Amino acid sequence: MTQVIAITGKGGTGKTAIAALLIRYLTKGNKVVLAIDADPDSNLPETLGCEAEKGIGDMKEFMLKERDNLPPDINKETIFESKIYEVLTEMPGYDLLVMGRPEGSGCYCYANNLLRGIMDRLVKNYDVVIIDTAAGLEHFSRKIIRDVDDLIVVTDGSRRGLRTGERIRELVGELEANVRNIYVIANKVTDDNKETISDTAKELDLELIGAIKVDEMIQERDLIGSPLFDLPDDSVAVQEVENIAKKLKL
Amino acid sequence: MADEFPFEISPMFEGERVRKDGMYVELAGPKSKGFELVKSVGMDEIEDGKFTLIGPDISEMEEGSRHPIAMIYRIAGELVEQDLEAIVERRNHDFQNYIQGVMHLNQRYDIWIRVSKDAMKKGLDSLEQIAKATMMLFKNELPFIEKIEATYITDMSEVEKELDGAIATYTARDERTRNLHDEDVDVFYGCTLCQSFAPTNVCVVTPDRISLCGAINWFDGRAAAKVDPEGPQFAIEKGEIIDAKGGEYSGVNDLAKSLSNGEYDRIKIHSFFEFPHTSCGCFEVVGFYIPEVDGIGWVDRDFMGTAPNGLPFSTMAGQTGGGKQVVGFLGIGINYFRSPKFIEVDGGWNRVVWMPKLLKDKVLADIPKDIVDKVATEEDASDLESLKAFLKEKDHPILERWVEEEEEDEAVEETATAAPTMQMPMMAAGTPMAMPAGSGGSGVKIILKNAKVSIDRVIIKKSE
Repeated sequence: MTQVIAITGKGGTGKTAIAALLIRYLTKGNKVVLAIDADPDSNLPETLGCEAEKGIGDMKEFMLKERDNLPPDINKETIFESKIYEVLTEMPGYDLLVMGRPEGSGCYCYANNLLRGIMDRLVKNYDVVIIDTAAGLEHFSRKIIRDVDDLIVVTDGSRRGLRTGERIRELVGELEANVRNIYVIANKVTDDNKETISDTAKELDLELIGAIKVDEMIQERDLIGSPLFDLPDDSVAVQEVENIAKKLKL
Repeated sequence: MADEFPFEISPMFEGERVRKDGMYVELAGPKSKGFELVKSVGMDEIEDGKFTLIGPDISEMEEGSRHPIAMIYRIAGELVEQDLEAIVERRNHDFQNYIQGVMHLNQRYDIWIRVSKDAMKKGLDSLEQIAKATMMLFKNELPFIEKIEATYITDMSEVEKELDGAIATYTARDERTRNLHDEDVDVFYGCTLCQSFAPTNVCVVTPDRISLCGAINWFDGRAAAKVDPEGPQFAIEKGEIIDAKGGEYSGVNDLAKSLSNGEYDRIKIHSFFEFPHTSCGCFEVVGFYIPEVDGIGWVDRDFMGTAPNGLPFSTMAGQTGGGKQVVGFLGIGINYFRSPKFIEVDGGWNRVVWMPKLLKDKVLADIPKDIVDKVATEEDASDLESLKAFLKEKDHPILERWVEEEEEDEAVEETATAAPTMQMPMMAAGTPMAMPAGSGGSGVKIILKNAKVSIDRVIIKKSE
């Protein structure tokens, strides 16, 4: 069975870094991973150290633009499926899929309906799917990806950050999406605020499955824009993500 | 089944992806060339089960390499005919995906195939094995195929040589498909994808009428309904023909009644004025009646200006959408302009007086030659006065209706003085249009523009 993990949180909390480190951990353990960049603001490809020219959004646009030029009796689902496979960036141990540009003004009901079937089949080919997604959970509301095993909310140490976790939990309740577990990871934690964070999480009834300390190696790489995928094993963040992965039974 | 093959064959392997890491060889695909083609031939023209390979075989290909491939099947049988070629050809995709370790994507000259390293290790080292397995499945699953022969080509120059002929076959096939009309089929397809926000919408997709969103044609409906008959696209038995020209069928009416929860019980799929198709909200174009010229204008989602009636797309769409049957407005998909039944009962293109330039350009080739220059765009007419002038100048066929109406009006005036009766058109408050004058009916035509009428009480007394 494929384990589907969605990582969400406000911008700047480091959710993309955590997604990249989880993928790093998994590929080292010979798991085949599908990485999905579902946040228009994020930069998962750069963080992983690969490039994606086009995304699913471009292919939806292609289907919309070309549909009257396609042979009338052609099976549009097989064409669309092939187009989705074309935008998969294939890397050793993982494939990356970028959601990309948002929808235009036309009607996407049919394209999204086809996409649901295609994604259902695609996802089954992987041991783990890691989705880096914006806090609005837009793709889940459209049910492009229907079932999520673990939804992880990444927050900084602030009370406001943890409140986001609470809000996302409420949103999930309204979504009709099938989310099994919701966890919180506190990122960029210092010795001073560690205790307050775990107290606040308890108070809000959020399950804290990890607290990652400020990692100087990440800060350095962020500054020059180099990928986090090849961080050394002794990085503080790499080690904590390993612990988190074990708690997620990865 | 199939002990002679070094691989398993089962529908369970459909959707199995061969990743780059695990790929032994890639055939055709976006970075190479290839095609698949099924041709029907005479019984004595082929040898059943024969396989010919032109070019290198898998065992002669380097690990991780990419090669072109053409897969040509010749089929024969008493019931085999040319029209079946496309249906048979499409199954190549299914059957090759049944083979463990083989991934087949797309169709025609866009095919993309990968063979996995694991399959190679287990002994899949020849295209002959794939061809034989595929031919076996063809014969098992499509028993009307009595004989089948396959030729695979992996040599680039040979593939290129055959490609033009294949494309000519596809083109000829598409021509035949485009000639399919409502009267040629017994089943239409319905779609409920829009019902989440247009709960009474009844989308009927026929060979001559694409869905309002423009995304689903009759063939898409057929494909989807076959896979999941309970899904958002499903079959509608046509039933009895009630009005052939207007497109009214008992089967569609029955469905309209159940899908709209009794809100509507009649739909004429090719009529603008009488029981028109409901409009969802996804429609690409909205048509609007212009009473001043007795013609119909069309405006699309991308047009940002206002139509000659003074309204932009968004306002008219708001009034029309939500799954309502609104006489005077009609949502359609752009491809419906290409239909030979396009509002045929209302005069077809002869009734069209205005559309935005970009929309007109999109369907230019499909507008009848004698009318194409007579349909105004925003460059010719931005309001009713300039529209009238343009139509007169171009001698638009709509002018014939004006003459009839003027005559009618004169007759009306005479009767009006004799007996001051008034025929008030039914309309919703705020609807900026009037109905066309009833044919043959007498009375005065009253046009209310942007009127909001509210009447507390109406007292009718015998005149003294």
